[in-house]
Amino acid sequence: MPPAILVRALRKSYGAKAAVDSLDLEVPRGSFFGFLGPNGAGKSTTIRILTGLIPADSGSVEILGLRLPEDEIEIKRRIGLVPDESLLFDRLTGLEFLEFVGRMYGLERAAAIERGRGLMDLFELPADRKIIGEYSKGMRKRVAMAASLIHHPELFLMDEPFEGVDAVGARLMKDILVDQVRRGATIFLTSHVLEVVERLCDRVAIIHAGRIVTSGAMEDLRAGGQSLEDAFVRLVGAERPAERLSWL
Amino acid sequence: MIAAILRAQAIGMRMGKRRGAALSALVAVLWYGMWAGVACAVFAMAYVAQPSALREYAPLGFLAVFVYWQVAPVVTANLGSALDTRKLLAYPIAHRKLFLVDLLLRLTGAGEMVMVLGAGLFGMLANPAAGNGRIWPRAVLAVLLYLAFNLLLASGTRSLLERLLSRRGVREAVVLGMLLLWVAPRLVMVSGYRPTWLGGGAAALGAAPWPWGAASRASLAGGSGGLALVTLGAWMAAAGWFGRGQFERGLRFDAAAAQARPSEGNARREGALERFYRFPAWIWRDPLAGLVEKELRSLARTPRFRTVFIMGFTFGLVVWLPMALRPHHGDPGAVERNFLTVVSLYALTLLGQVSYWNCFGMDRSAARIYFTIPQPISRALVSKNIASLVYIYVEVLLLTAIVAALHLVDGWGQVLETLVVVGICAAYLMALGNLASVYYPRALKPERVSGGGTSSRFQGLIFLLYPIALLPVALAYLARYALDSQAAFAAVLAVAAAIGAALYWVALDSAVLAAGRRREALIEELAKGDGPVDTD
Repeated sequence: MPPAILVRALRKSYGAKAAVDSLDLEVPRGSFFGFLGPNGAGKSTTIRILTGLIPADSGSVEILGLRLPEDEIEIKRRIGLVPDESLLFDRLTGLEFLEFVGRMYGLERAAAIERGRGLMDLFELPADRKIIGEYSKGMRKRVAMAASLIHHPELFLMDEPFEGVDAVGARLMKDILVDQVRRGATIFLTSHVLEVVERLCDRVAIIHAGRIVTSGAMEDLRAGGQSLEDAFVRLVGAERPAERLSWL
Repeated sequence: MIAAILRAQAIGMRMGKRRGAALSALVAVLWYGMWAGVACAVFAMAYVAQPSALREYAPLGFLAVFVYWQVAPVVTANLGSALDTRKLLAYPIAHRKLFLVDLLLRLTGAGEMVMVLGAGLFGMLANPAAGNGRIWPRAVLAVLLYLAFNLLLASGTRSLLERLLSRRGVREAVVLGMLLLWVAPRLVMVSGYRPTWLGGGAAALGAAPWPWGAASRASLAGGSGGLALVTLGAWMAAAGWFGRGQFERGLRFDAAAAQARPSEGNARREGALERFYRFPAWIWRDPLAGLVEKELRSLARTPRFRTVFIMGFTFGLVVWLPMALRPHHGDPGAVERNFLTVVSLYALTLLGQVSYWNCFGMDRSAARIYFTIPQPISRALVSKNIASLVYIYVEVLLLTAIVAALHLVDGWGQVLETLVVVGICAAYLMALGNLASVYYPRALKPERVSGGGTSSRFQGLIFLLYPIALLPVALAYLARYALDSQAAFAAVLAVAAAIGAALYWVALDSAVLAAGRRREALIEELAKGDGPVDTD
């Protein structure tokens, strides 16, 4: 069975600056994969390419054994997406949005409504007339995650899914994701909260300046008893003496 | 600090793409070229006018400037640029400085009036017969005071309207109120009714105590120029008090609280609305039905769209009804004969700015969804066009009911003709609109009636496109008029429909290709964060 994600020699540049450069990545099926990197390292660009939002300059991308962009529609049918910014229509209620997304993925209306109601309950979202534009940031993240689940995808692409979510909501979302992996789904997520990645993910890749600096099992990365944070700081070269500004 | 804010705005407004800059420059040249022509005409008139004529018509000229400056932004729902104070309040900036920046921005939206006033002033001063050159310091001061008065009043009016138009349930009433203010004098005029006080009122309107009267007297030789100058100063001070007061209230305004929805709704009304939203599923299958349904719901809940929708079936009547009611001898005029069609086409063009000219504008950054769901982008564009068309036809039906009540409809034939003509024109406009939506996308603020939409210059370009887009249908009417034949009208209309359909599909294909090619730029444009200033 082909890997969930297979990327080879991926490149994307903006003017003279390469956001992603010669990127190779392999995400095995059924893994909980953490994609880490400092700000501006190329994480979001990579996820945007994987979701078909932006084209790559060169290189190849295969998702679930299908080639991008040739099989773009079929790939989209089989993935669930939780973007960095909420990808939500503000003038719909939470339930209406879930129904809309379900129908876009080919569910019958009745089935989309039924699944939507179930997800609203599961994510403890208010089933009232409140439109998404009036939701808090955490509630928006919950709706986005619920929407990514409605068509029961094989692969989840998540960009900072826990950002802005309170502790209760984050626990709920983590439990659901772990359950999805247990059922055979693959999760590919980015997060700045290294403790979360350390606790949830079994595999990790670290990107820095558009290139993968390490990729492998979590245990291998933490070999020698160091924490993920130690390994991360060491690999991205962020260890430097604290500088002081004379006026500060 | 003021320079820093203006610089941040200038950087934010800088157009990155050469094509966009070229278009902006072209429309600016056309727009300001037209106003330069008006200014030259005003100069010439002021230069050659006899002193008595100047005394008689100068107050009307100043009044015209006042009306344009104060009323035009309101009736076109284009309130211009203003500070987005929510973003600047976090910084330690004195309110008076923010107010000053706001005033400078108001001035940028009134360049054409500054040109006209300046031309009129130079004409009056150079007029050899009037002898105004002797009092040039007073005249210049009067015009500067008049400019400041208009500037301060416009700033206060904008702040007041922005707040009123942000309040749930109030904004539609405000729009109707403004409409009545606009329509009442015109309807009285065309009805032929002349109340006895009207003559006195008209005379009073040109009298000295009014700002336009005072500005006129202060800038012309002779008479009580000094007193007029003091009067003008008092008006400016009052406008300053109003403008600053409204600005301060705007700073304390909580838009989110004003827009909060009531927790309980009217179950019966919601049931009817729900049936309306669900109707696409009777006609189309998913995913198209789902996309149209989403669009119908979103537009109906968008204050900006709702307000323009109301304007569509009210402003059209306001603008065209006086022409239709005008007493005539013999055959009725073209507007009266085709009144329903004319007001329906007006509604079609008005709704365009919040729908088909900028399809993805209301979705803002959420427009990315259309590129992540497993559906081709063509479906999203078609669904948006269908939803726009649904609301356009709802608008036409409302107009039909009102116009029928006024006995201005010539039978069912005219209703049918209107429905067909609107459909054909919509095909042309939506063909161009789909291309514009992909090439010139711009994020719209759904909760605001103005601001953040298409630029006023792009609106200018749209006005240039309307005659081209409506030309085929105009030719059908020309054929009917010239040949006096209904068959000729139907034949030309059928050809126009066929060309419109072909154009729509070709333009859709082109827009889809462009959307695929430009998806990155399109998404980026729609997700653009706002600078410290909201702009139109």
